[in-house]
Amino acid sequence: MHPFFTILLKELLIFFRSTGLVLMVIYFFTAEVYVAGDGVEVEAKNISIAIVDKSAGGISKKIISSLHAPEFQTPKFYTSQKELSDAIYDRDIMIGLIFDEDFEKNYYKHLNPQINILVDSTTASQSLMALGYLQNIVMDFNKMQLPITMKIHKLFNQNATTSYFMSLSELLSVITLLTVILTAVVFVKEKENGTWDIMLLMPVNPKIIILAKSFSQIIIVMIGTFLSVGIVLFKGFNIPLNGSLLNFFILTFFYVWTTAGLGLFIAAVSKTVTQIAQLSIVIMMPIIFLSGAWTPIYAMHPILQTLSIFSPLRYYIEGSESIFFRGSGFIDLLPYFGGVILLGIVLYWYGFRKIGKLF
Amino acid sequence: MRLRVIKAYFVKELIDLYRSKLIFMPYLVPLLIVVLFGYGIKMQVTGVRVLILDNDHSKISRTLISKFEHSKYFNTTVENITEEEGLEKIKKASKDMIVIIPSSFEKNILKGTQSEIGVFVDASFPSRSSTMTNYVQGVIYNLAQDYHIKSSQMIQLNNRNLFNQSLRDEEMIVPGLIGLVLLVSPAILTALLISKEKEKGTIFNFYSSSVTGAEFLIAKLSAIFTLTSLNIFILFFVVIFLFDLPFRGNFFLYWISSELYILVALGFGLLVSIVVSSQIVAIVVTLMLTILPGFLYSGMLMPISSMNNEAYIIAHLYPVMYYNHIIYDTFLVGQGFDSSLNILYLSLLAGYALLFFFVGLFFLKKEI
Repeated sequence: MHPFFTILLKELLIFFRSTGLVLMVIYFFTAEVYVAGDGVEVEAKNISIAIVDKSAGGISKKIISSLHAPEFQTPKFYTSQKELSDAIYDRDIMIGLIFDEDFEKNYYKHLNPQINILVDSTTASQSLMALGYLQNIVMDFNKMQLPITMKIHKLFNQNATTSYFMSLSELLSVITLLTVILTAVVFVKEKENGTWDIMLLMPVNPKIIILAKSFSQIIIVMIGTFLSVGIVLFKGFNIPLNGSLLNFFILTFFYVWTTAGLGLFIAAVSKTVTQIAQLSIVIMMPIIFLSGAWTPIYAMHPILQTLSIFSPLRYYIEGSESIFFRGSGFIDLLPYFGGVILLGIVLYWYGFRKIGKLF
Repeated sequence: MRLRVIKAYFVKELIDLYRSKLIFMPYLVPLLIVVLFGYGIKMQVTGVRVLILDNDHSKISRTLISKFEHSKYFNTTVENITEEEGLEKIKKASKDMIVIIPSSFEKNILKGTQSEIGVFVDASFPSRSSTMTNYVQGVIYNLAQDYHIKSSQMIQLNNRNLFNQSLRDEEMIVPGLIGLVLLVSPAILTALLISKEKEKGTIFNFYSSSVTGAEFLIAKLSAIFTLTSLNIFILFFVVIFLFDLPFRGNFFLYWISSELYILVALGFGLLVSIVVSSQIVAIVVTLMLTILPGFLYSGMLMPISSMNNEAYIIAHLYPVMYYNHIIYDTFLVGQGFDSSLNILYLSLLAGYALLFFFVGLFFLKKEI
């Protein structure tokens, strides 16, 4: 057998013999992705709301009756503003509505009736959305006839389902995290045990050793990705696929290869597993940050926009979103392929030079 | 409990960390995470690339366009292309939103009949798309009000934003980030402590010596505890000066709860490293059990009170939420020791720290 396959097989055997590690990888690709997609809700829903109603009239009741699921929980009632603000300070309640004694009187007398609202705005984005809901409810009540209406089309994700976005981006982070750590550890373990020098002394081209070792981890991650896309994304969340699945797996392959290059880089500069743990966090955080996963790239500072060219995750995220949601074709995806492959070549070139020779 | 033994281990661990050039890592990693994510997570949306297709070319449509152009939220371009070409631009991710003003828009408004503005939004990032449509709604209401007589019967909302008056992203995210790094960083360091000895076989030194389990654990933990405790102050100053966060609460509460929380994180990493036998599994398990729950159950992105049943219960099982409640209190709310809830949560943290330590002690057996 060609030495490439021998080494590949050896690494795969080592991996599959370590039951704990196999279980961990499976957990990451399935349960972790599911929990993130299912648990994180960025839209404001199920908001806890409480009411102090001193007006005791029909108007306030009508407004209260329009506070319902999925936006709001069943409102709680308090008799004094003190109780309400205590509940908000204990963070049990997010929004409190206070109807004054003369609210109803003002309403009928046309004296600018107003509802006082207390908002816990620690989670600023959700508070803003919740206020928007209330604004709409009151707007409806006022029966303000606007001469203009809006017809909104949400493209690619009609109901703005958070789970589509969250599960996909969690899968991409899992791929990044596991590839970097698994690859780096494969090399550094040999360094720690002192067997790396022996490997290099073998009459095999060190480039083949390095490629074979990293390919074993790439195969593991690719299998995990298959599982995750098939079981969690499609079965679990019914995520829409507007592009071609083959394109996604080709892009994933090249991305995993580049990320393994990153692991190789980390392995080249560290001596122990402890160093890997720390270094991979230090290196991965900026890569995730500059990828546009949290803030879109066009909204970043110009210097950061330039730096984001070096984040392989940027190409991968944009590419995968384009495939799944926007349904882009192969030609439109070429820049993403190019970016990922180019970065991979640079990383492997460095890895070969730094770790691939004895003297 | 012999202090002499503990001291020897303590010094040995510090020297170990120093020699592996990792002595700065416990400070570098948390700092990096807080700074990057503090600047990085932006829930507010600015600079939305909006493309306006004006089919009316009237006075009112130009007023609408200038309202878009004057808003800090939008980065507006007006082009003379068809709807299909506009949609193609969204598909290539070069525009986020198209607003289509219909022909005879002005005529309809002046006549008082309904006219419809078409809005197409890229919703592949769902929360952003909702925010964007809210902004457009705001602009259009604003225009509509110019052509509508205000009535004094209209109910107004008078809202007071408590704790984060200006709804800044930093005030929402950064305290939670402190909670995240004080969990992740100590946990990883400890998780490697014992699994490293197991992998290298040096754990047999401990098995065959007269050092007791409690001494061993206390000695191992105190080195990292001392190192990471400094973070409480470093992070405090970074957060106050770099992100301009208010500090309304009690500093002593912040300090003591953070120390307890570090103990919880240490105990957690310790449990992992006792159960697991190799370093790589220890790292992966620790990352897995700290980062995602650290985000999810912190109340950073969604309030605990609006979680549904199971998530609400799980959130109460993790220690993350108790510390986050206290830390948001010290930075933004400012109730301090007056709130009985804070004191309850503080004692819960202490309970978790003790629990992890004793469970770890129970599982750490000298086996030969």
